[in-house]
Amino acid sequence: MILTGEKIKEEVKRGRIVIDPFDEGQINPNSYNFRLFNKIKVYKNQILDAKKPNEVREIEIPPSGLILKPDTLYLGCTLEIMGSNYYVPIIRGRSSTGRLGVFIHITADLIDIGSINRWTLMMHAVQPVKVYPYMLIGQVTFWVPKGKIVLYKGKYQGSKGPMESLVYKDFEEA
Amino acid sequence: MSWFTDIEKTFIKDASLNYFKMILTGEEIKRQVKLGNIHINPFCEKFLNPNSYNYRLGPELLEVEDKIIDPRIPYKTRKIIIDSQKGFMLKPHRLYLGRTYEEIGSKEFVTILIGRSSVGRLGLFLQITADLGHIGCKHCWTLELKVVQPLIVYPFMRIGQVSFWVNYGPKDKKYLGEYGMYSMPYPSKFYKEFKNDTYRRKN
Repeated sequence: MILTGEKIKEEVKRGRIVIDPFDEGQINPNSYNFRLFNKIKVYKNQILDAKKPNEVREIEIPPSGLILKPDTLYLGCTLEIMGSNYYVPIIRGRSSTGRLGVFIHITADLIDIGSINRWTLMMHAVQPVKVYPYMLIGQVTFWVPKGKIVLYKGKYQGSKGPMESLVYKDFEEA
Repeated sequence: MSWFTDIEKTFIKDASLNYFKMILTGEEIKRQVKLGNIHINPFCEKFLNPNSYNYRLGPELLEVEDKIIDPRIPYKTRKIIIDSQKGFMLKPHRLYLGRTYEEIGSKEFVTILIGRSSVGRLGLFLQITADLGHIGCKHCWTLELKVVQPLIVYPFMRIGQVSFWVNYGPKDKKYLGEYGMYSMPYPSKFYKEFKNDTYRRKN
């Protein structure tokens, strides 16, 4: 089941959902609107290699905005530190963002239960589009899980900024 | 269970063997359409899937004309009526806004709109990042379209599917957004809130 906006508010007050900073004005009927943090990462190389660490460059989004170009992947993150040990978050853009042709995640919209940090956004623009720091870019829904909960202990826990892919570590394990 | 409405209680009782049922089945969508709790108009039973309903593409499209889209200002669009015989070719690197042919909505269930796997296999993204509908909205939904390779689309083709989900928690927050009033493809209204966003101004 999907939590209603009122339920999200209730659970933030009870401490079962973390959204920090939290503003009641950003609640929707079934989701909460989050903001874009002002730090962005882009990969230095055009060709990415899943087996190797890919170097990144950090950019600060100026108040005058940053133009996202098609064919470049931008890693942003939420301003808010968010997560829950009780509900499963699923993120997506707002329809206002979609109507600008901005993807805010690529293929993976599911956040692990227990992953409490600034969530990385995988941003991709269909046509060139400007983004601004702290704009209300996306929304998060919370879902009731069924079964015993095992909390996330993964490699991205505790992120305070956008996190590039660490998938190369999977190859090291193998 | 006090936060459930009577309709939801009936629904949960009906599904008593599976209390945590979350997504409606096709049969349940049909039943809820008949009960008036889901609005799909026109409704055609054969468009039902095991857990969703296939909606059709309305004949109008908007093509975004701005070279650089800036959320602070309204962008220019060009209206296209898709030819019923020849169709219309969607080009990569372009953003198109379409609409569902059907009026879709529910006051009881949350809608999620996605494409069909048949169109995904043609490289068409339907809904860019935002597939969640607002409960209480009843209209022809704006569709955000983007293709990987050039693709010809036709009016009234079955392009996507909508699923319906059960709520958890009190529902007294009404949808206050504006998009719900529109049944034609509708551009982003980001620019409106930029003026009033005090948080952004302070930071």
